Amino acid sequence: MNELEIPRIYSIKTTDKETLRKWLYLMIIGRAIDDKAPNYLKQAIGWSYHAPYAGHDGIQLAVGYHFEKNKDHIFLYYREMLTAMACGMTAEEIILNGISKATDPSSAGRHMSNHFAKPEWNIHSVSSSTGNHTLHAVGVARAIKYYGEKAVAISGQGESSVSEGYVYEAFNGADKEQLPVIFVIQDNGYGISVPKKDQTANRKVANNFIGLKHTRIIHCNGKDVFDSMNAMAEAKRITIEESKPVILQANCVRIHSHSNSDDHLLYRNEMERNYVQDYDPLGKFRRLLVRYNRFSEAEIEEIEQEARAELKLAHKAAMSAPDPSPESIYDFVLPEPYVSEIYPDGLHNEHGEKKKLITGLNETLKAEFRHNPDTFIWGQDMANKDKGGIFNVSKGLQKEFGEKRVFNAPIAEDFIMGTANGMSRYNDKIRVVVEGAEFADYFWPAMEQYVDTSHDYWRSNGKFSPNIVIRLASGGYIGGGMYHSQNIEGSLASIPGVRIVYPSFADDAAGLLRTAMRSRGLTMIMEPKALYQDPKAATVIPDDFEVPFGKARVRKEGKDITVLTYGNTTHLCIDAANKLEHEGFSLEVIDLRSLVPLDEETILKSVEKTNKVLIVHEDKVFGGFGGELAAIISDKAFNLLDAPIKRVGSTFTPVGFNRILEKAILPNAEKIYKAAKDLLDY
Amino acid sequence: MSNKVIIYSFHTQKSKKVAEKIIEAFGNENIVAVNAEELTSEIFEKNDHFILSAPTWFDGELPNYWDEFIPELEDMDLSNKTFAVFGLGDQQGYPENYCDAIGILVEVLEKCGATIVGKIPAGGYTFESSRALRGDHFVGLPLDQENQAKLTGERVKRWVEQLKIEMR
Repeated sequence: MNELEIPRIYSIKTTDKETLRKWLYLMIIGRAIDDKAPNYLKQAIGWSYHAPYAGHDGIQLAVGYHFEKNKDHIFLYYREMLTAMACGMTAEEIILNGISKATDPSSAGRHMSNHFAKPEWNIHSVSSSTGNHTLHAVGVARAIKYYGEKAVAISGQGESSVSEGYVYEAFNGADKEQLPVIFVIQDNGYGISVPKKDQTANRKVANNFIGLKHTRIIHCNGKDVFDSMNAMAEAKRITIEESKPVILQANCVRIHSHSNSDDHLLYRNEMERNYVQDYDPLGKFRRLLVRYNRFSEAEIEEIEQEARAELKLAHKAAMSAPDPSPESIYDFVLPEPYVSEIYPDGLHNEHGEKKKLITGLNETLKAEFRHNPDTFIWGQDMANKDKGGIFNVSKGLQKEFGEKRVFNAPIAEDFIMGTANGMSRYNDKIRVVVEGAEFADYFWPAMEQYVDTSHDYWRSNGKFSPNIVIRLASGGYIGGGMYHSQNIEGSLASIPGVRIVYPSFADDAAGLLRTAMRSRGLTMIMEPKALYQDPKAATVIPDDFEVPFGKARVRKEGKDITVLTYGNTTHLCIDAANKLEHEGFSLEVIDLRSLVPLDEETILKSVEKTNKVLIVHEDKVFGGFGGELAAIISDKAFNLLDAPIKRVGSTFTPVGFNRILEKAILPNAEKIYKAAKDLLDY
Repeated sequence: MSNKVIIYSFHTQKSKKVAEKIIEAFGNENIVAVNAEELTSEIFEKNDHFILSAPTWFDGELPNYWDEFIPELEDMDLSNKTFAVFGLGDQQGYPENYCDAIGILVEVLEKCGATIVGKIPAGGYTFESSRALRGDHFVGLPLDQENQAKLTGERVKRWVEQLKIEMR
């Protein structure tokens, strides 16, 4: 391939002395910390994870130097200590992160050491899942482009993480949308001990992406300050002036082991260990400064002394900084949600025309898009003329709000989720709604981003809240089979940091969606797709209806059994309760609406009255959310129970396609009726 | 003076051996060996014919001793001087950048007005791309001690015979 001609803006002979001094100072103090970090572990102070950057100095200095805080957005991977310092983070801040202090600006000691961040400057909090923030960079670049800012998103990673599928998703998406993002690949030839040849056939991994239509690929010598500076300057110019993505691969050396849990003596011979030392970027920079008479040895010695003095003070200050308190662990799991003043319990007495569940969702989406101009939605099969999602829930949105706010995503669930996370990093006003997958059980490829996003608010110590609503069409009763009929909330509910709601009726679907779209934080709405068009789920919906999280709704009052349910099975429970009513029994059917947070108060109040509990959901009994409900009730209300807690749900099998199989697997009114009868016999 | 000067790193092993073969092929006449790691511009000013060793490092880079000398080299007027560049590379391990260093160095020399000699036909090599390749010729002598060590002797001999004519 033809290499891009890179203008030579910086060189040893022309760059001004003040700039050279600044660079040298950063390189010297950075390296001093890089070398000192393992001592904190040896002295049992902390910093148990340190990935030394020595050998990456040129490119890291260049990346940080080109970052403009509060304007550009940057995502550093765990080896980017010098980038962090070149972005402006101080030696003290680096050590605070290393030894996990409460005043660590990255995470207040919550996240692993060497994960440098300062969200208030747009140095974003990142995952340990290497390369996953490429998707976040794409998302925030989408916002940069949408809002017309002359800024850039920069994402750093090692060459091995380019093997991850989601990195391809990020590169492809950035290319398709022509976004101002620079993907910097710092290539030191190893993924821990795994050599590059075991990752991909192409030594220059960036060249795996030469087919991308709009993306520019630049190679540079990451060990050389000037080559790296010129490459970054050109990359930034291309992204900002031409709005094209750039993949910049910088060749580096890894002078030390991968981290302090790795020993490179086990897999690198002496010759290799020696020659990577010979190619130490700091050594080369110093030699150039002296050779071309830009600095004398005495001047360099003076800078070294200055750096040593700063490091000493930084160390002292960090050591005396407070540790995080154990009481703080529950802070910032989820932000406080939007508070409904008109419908504090999520109930209404409106009369009039009933609307279907799908209509409730569609009209609420439109109303909220009108309410907040910084609202966006994307997903698969989402927006093409009259088509709005696989079930047409978002029909008409693109026509009214345009292609920049309502658009199709590539068939890449992790991309859908990851760019939602990234775009919401741009500012706190933005609300992103995603159709996470065509059907809920296609969501699994997005789990990587889902889990990561669930950490964000806690991990950043409340500095970044991903303000996202994920909509998923869930459940069966449509003869859909696997990937089209299953429930996944039992698996998802075990992950903290996400609200999970699962309405059964049109009004609640509308009210929960509105609350979710007005709240900060991550909310998952499971939509029972079998009820989208079903008249039995249709209700009157007040135009401004809101349902708070964690408020269950008693759908039928009773005194003999408390039935806890949600989604499709709410209707089946009501049917069973009606049947039993004719037999003289009264069941109290509680529609949970919200699984996380859970309305324990309403549940326990009902159990106090009925002393018997039947839990019904569509998901599998084994490992389903009902197990958690049963455990809570056993723990908090054992004395109130007159019978064992009974559960009805799917069999511990996949959901079959043939209607006969589906019927045998999913719960129905008859199965619920029988279980209730058993309970009544106690 | 019209001495021929051969410049290579005295700390290398494989390049050094090849350089010694070249000196030997010249018959030890009028050829001075200079350590590339102690290079000064004076060497270039005072001589007319140069044979440079440029092994390719990493994924297509010059070794530090050349890279660090280039800012000095770029300011020189090398008109009326002839240069021939040889270099070691690895066609199998690094096929995307086979002997790039020869090409990088030649590009700089050409900008300084130097006359490049010792270009050879590209037959007999197997690689994907090389900055040393222009059309069907290399701009110097690529060698491969990893995969074609047996061919080195003959390649050097032939090249030196060519240089004897081109550097007259």
